[in-house]
Amino acid sequence: MAHPQIAIFDRLSNGGEPPRRLIFGQPTLLSRTMHDIRYHEGRDEILVTNPFAQAVLIFRGDSDGQTAPVRIIQGPRTGFNSIDTVGIDPVNDEIYIPDGPNIKVFPGDANGDVAPIRVVEAGADMGWRPSRGIGIDYVHDVIATDGTLMGEALENDDFKNPYRGGRDSVFVFPRLAEGKIKPLRMIRGDKTGIFGIRQMDLYPKGGWIVVAQITSGSVPIPEGTFVGIWGIYDNGNVAPRWKIEGKASNILAKPRGVTLNPKHKELLVSDMRLNSVMTFSFPEMFDTVAQPPPSQ
Amino acid sequence: MKTKNPQTRAWFLGALGLVMAASWVLIPGGSGQGLSLGGPRLVRIDSLPAIEFSSEMCAWMPAATTASPALFSMALQQRNETAVESREVLDRPPVRVIKDPFPTFSAVAVDMVNNEIVLQDENLFQIMAYDSSTNTPPTAALSEPKRVIGGHHTKMEFNCGLYIDPGNGDIYSVNNDTIDTMVIFSRDAKGDVPPTRELSTPHGTYGIAVDEAAEELFLSVQHASSVVIYNKDAEGDAAPIRMIVGNSTKMADPHGIALDTSRGELFVANYGNFSAYQPGLERGGGGGTGGAGRINGSGRFFPPSISVYPSRGDGDIPPLRVIQGPKTQLNWPGHIAVDEQRGELFVANDGGDSVLVFQVTDEGDVAPTRVITGARTQIKNPTGVTIDKKNQEVIVANMGNHRATVFPIDAAGNVPPLRVIRAAPAGQPALQIGNPGAVSYDTKRDEILVPN
Repeated sequence: MAHPQIAIFDRLSNGGEPPRRLIFGQPTLLSRTMHDIRYHEGRDEILVTNPFAQAVLIFRGDSDGQTAPVRIIQGPRTGFNSIDTVGIDPVNDEIYIPDGPNIKVFPGDANGDVAPIRVVEAGADMGWRPSRGIGIDYVHDVIATDGTLMGEALENDDFKNPYRGGRDSVFVFPRLAEGKIKPLRMIRGDKTGIFGIRQMDLYPKGGWIVVAQITSGSVPIPEGTFVGIWGIYDNGNVAPRWKIEGKASNILAKPRGVTLNPKHKELLVSDMRLNSVMTFSFPEMFDTVAQPPPSQ
Repeated sequence: MKTKNPQTRAWFLGALGLVMAASWVLIPGGSGQGLSLGGPRLVRIDSLPAIEFSSEMCAWMPAATTASPALFSMALQQRNETAVESREVLDRPPVRVIKDPFPTFSAVAVDMVNNEIVLQDENLFQIMAYDSSTNTPPTAALSEPKRVIGGHHTKMEFNCGLYIDPGNGDIYSVNNDTIDTMVIFSRDAKGDVPPTRELSTPHGTYGIAVDEAAEELFLSVQHASSVVIYNKDAEGDAAPIRMIVGNSTKMADPHGIALDTSRGELFVANYGNFSAYQPGLERGGGGGTGGAGRINGSGRFFPPSISVYPSRGDGDIPPLRVIQGPKTQLNWPGHIAVDEQRGELFVANDGGDSVLVFQVTDEGDVAPTRVITGARTQIKNPTGVTIDKKNQEVIVANMGNHRATVFPIDAAGNVPPLRVIRAAPAGQPALQIGNPGAVSYDTKRDEILVPN
């Protein structure tokens, strides 16, 4: 897109109302391809990535206009190669950066050319690889990420995704996992409806995983798009607990971003085909706790 | 030229409805979903096996700090043994929708034969052709175009680059994201029509320039920090005939490109976002979010620049010269245009709300010859600029205010445009939301954060 920016709207903004603030311009060091954004309430900071410069940019929460980031994580020690998303754990004050087949974890105050404090590694030998969507559940002490199967696990799997992209599964693994690991649980299969998901957000208090599915980025108006919510204990070929399909009556076409506003029990979705942001009232999710299977 | 009286709210509702209806009519098999915008509809009633929150406390389930391969194997084998809960598909429209229902101009080109100004609309994914004389009166809501090309069949999405063939009027439209295809339409194309020709392009293609004499097509690529050169009539999966790419080029997130055919030079506008290639892997085109071929942790920020290359250049070549530094006033340079007759380079300077004019021979940290900027110019977040050689005018596409503004070729300072093409009511803010890949919520200020 021709103009990168972070637009900041009042919660009640509607229609064509202007943003309260805009972060844009050369001093911001922003680029296109900001495929994730997080607000860290404890630090009152906004986090995004600049994939072209292999950098994580951290702005003050009240940034406005052509303002520089307060911190930048960038440099050889980071080992960053292919980064365009970010996750935060506000309770344990950590920053998560998916980077190719790895997920790198930094302290919340990381600055400059610093090495990650933990690296989660996957690959064909582990039977899976993560992609870019990520969320941290500090209550159930797990991380969720999207991705796909690899190696023998993929060859032996019945589910065949007709779309490219490798973002057809949700994996759950321990929060403090480090090194080569295999996930605890996996949500994958035809009943899930997952072919290509993008941003992910978690609601730790209720144990919910919320994902936006665009199906395929290369199809202007793809079929099978939705916003789906799974429980943190869900495992296997299971449909989402709740699903809002991409269709005209839901004013949803190609949902790419998703986040939560627990205070007002709202679900927010950004739509890349409509170039818009929707707010859905979703009290049932915030009033409900995901249940473990009886055997646990 | 048609004009309408201001009816902003009605316009928003009408336009949003039109966008939604058009989108779903075009979804294969999707028209049967209905277009009701009413409240939530009861689909099914299931008992909820869940616990109601009574306080801030909630269930807490400690997890192991390491995962065992056995658990994963079990997960693979027993994937249907999850907790049994109700599963609901909801009919639920949003309570609020933030959307700009009006066109947002990202690029501009001129059809001098047919006296048309053609504009890329990156918000609604369409091309809009106006008569060159169009001038929206201040009291009018907007000006309607003569023709619009847009819809599912056009294969346009995040269309940001534009070129008009001076011979036959063909319209070349560059998609910056998602579809990775340049689409070409005949001059009289209209509505939701398939392109007459398509060329598969690298991901992140932005700028376009054509050497008509050499019959070569130049495209800049953001992700690969490169310029790829094709035969002008290339189509399908045709490969580039040359490629300027590599660490020596000093390209860094390239945007607009322009040719000075009289000097045999190619100008490239760079944002300055850089990561280094592994030597020998440049032509793989990896980088950005792709990663292949880039050196880990090599990312750096450089000041924005205009780099100049021989237009016949190929491979990892250094620039002939670079315009860069604080005196240049460069701030997110978008599309650029060269006036060969005057020997001037025009830069749509997005972050500076300005058009910068340099000499084509400028080098280093130099101030522009002149700058078009200020409240009277109506220039706001300009990303597109082109030259109308016949009428000696410079035309600016402003993403920040739904307008194209037309100036004399020698305009300087805070001057009013000769003409304005406005595609929305005057007071309507341009939200400039484009491919919002994510969203977040500021719980402290109750604000919604939307990145492009």
